[in-house]
Amino acid sequence: MAHPEDTSLPRLAKGCRWGTVNEMEGTVLFPEGAIKVQGTGKTILERCDGQKTFAQVVDELMQLYAGAPPALIREEAGKFLESLQNKRIVDY
Amino acid sequence: MLPNPLALIAEITHRCPLHCVYCSNPLQMTSAKSELPTEVWLRVFSEAAQMGALHLHLTGGEPLARTDLAQLIAGAHSAGLYTNLITSGLGLSEERLKQLVDAGLDHLQLSFQDSREEEANWIAGAKAQSHKIALARMVRNYNIGFTVNLVIHRQNIDHLEEMVRFIEDLGPDRMEIANAQYYGWALENRAALIPTREQVERAVKVVEEAEKRVAGRIRIDSVVPDYYARYPKACMGGWGRRLVLIDPSGKALPCHAAGVIPGMTFENVSERSLAEIWNHSEAFQRFRGESWMPEPCRSCDRRSEDFGGCRCQALLLAGDATATDPACSLAPAHGVIEEVLLQINSEPAALAQPASSSSLTQLQAQNSALWTYRVNPE
Repeated sequence: MAHPEDTSLPRLAKGCRWGTVNEMEGTVLFPEGAIKVQGTGKTILERCDGQKTFAQVVDELMQLYAGAPPALIREEAGKFLESLQNKRIVDY
Repeated sequence: MLPNPLALIAEITHRCPLHCVYCSNPLQMTSAKSELPTEVWLRVFSEAAQMGALHLHLTGGEPLARTDLAQLIAGAHSAGLYTNLITSGLGLSEERLKQLVDAGLDHLQLSFQDSREEEANWIAGAKAQSHKIALARMVRNYNIGFTVNLVIHRQNIDHLEEMVRFIEDLGPDRMEIANAQYYGWALENRAALIPTREQVERAVKVVEEAEKRVAGRIRIDSVVPDYYARYPKACMGGWGRRLVLIDPSGKALPCHAAGVIPGMTFENVSERSLAEIWNHSEAFQRFRGESWMPEPCRSCDRRSEDFGGCRCQALLLAGDATATDPACSLAPAHGVIEEVLLQINSEPAALAQPASSSSLTQLQAQNSALWTYRVNPE
């Protein structure tokens, strides 16, 4: 699979969801385990709600990380989502 | 510091409409009348969540045999647990599936025995295949994760590629291809189930190719047969380290098969809290950590990776639960495994002809020389 496109709608894949109670904050649960996402990863993934397009997510990240080169933000966010897509944690 | 259990495996019943010849349930099963009541299960689920467990795996037997399943899922869900239903699918109508999803079900794992109907029904000792296919189509209409599980063994491994493609067409998110593990019913039927080395090698290639083909679409998890491995599997991620299993009567076990180990007392969640059992019971302490280990494990670099392998397999094959798992090529008792493999690999792998029969009784009669079908508890 490739990076998401501008019009892709990134979201947690079926069977994957955020933890809801106490220490599960910031944890994504999936069938065979869980990952705790922090920092930039969390910032990206929290925006992937299936409503916003990848372009919109990238725009928001550009505003947050105003000092970083936009091309790099797009590239890194795409790579991050693709790696989670391969693990069947994200779909787009 | 003692780790928390990460997941709770709840064997909520041993009743099952299937009779799979490699069933992981113990030979001595819990009767329906000894099953834990709903309220005890619900208490245990919230205790597990408070201890930091993330996942609840509802299994059996066939969990759908419990009429309170939706209630159990709702309770686990509100405690914050990720709920996974491991099922044969028999007994699941669309109406009931909807109930379970509404109750908070996150994921469903559906077992298949084969891609071919006659073979599948022969392994399961029941006519289940067409229902399973219909169910798989239905599941995809709901917003839950979906895994298809397939157990492989000598009788079906030669058409693994066909089976993988069959599963691909069902469109799950995940596919689990598991070699039979030789405990309980599978150990009883090992002579008919264990694949040859050549079969295993071919199967590994089939899985590798499939992984490439479906990358990004379906995740494949495969479980290798430990008889053919150099080192043992890290059974349950280490004894009393990550997982706790509760059997239908409420006994807390460090793994599916631990009940076979003589001289151990497994405490019941209806009498003590899960935390007390996990932290203090003799059974959970017995093989936790490294101090129980014999040589060669004790001085082995791999001891923190595979934890000496499986205690139940050590008991079943070496006659001593404290021995190094005989599946390990370094184990003093590894000769037992070598002997089994020598026998399997020196004879031509005689494959049985699937018998098509209308009833379990007929199948039992036709296949009595080959294997024993799992029977239901009283």
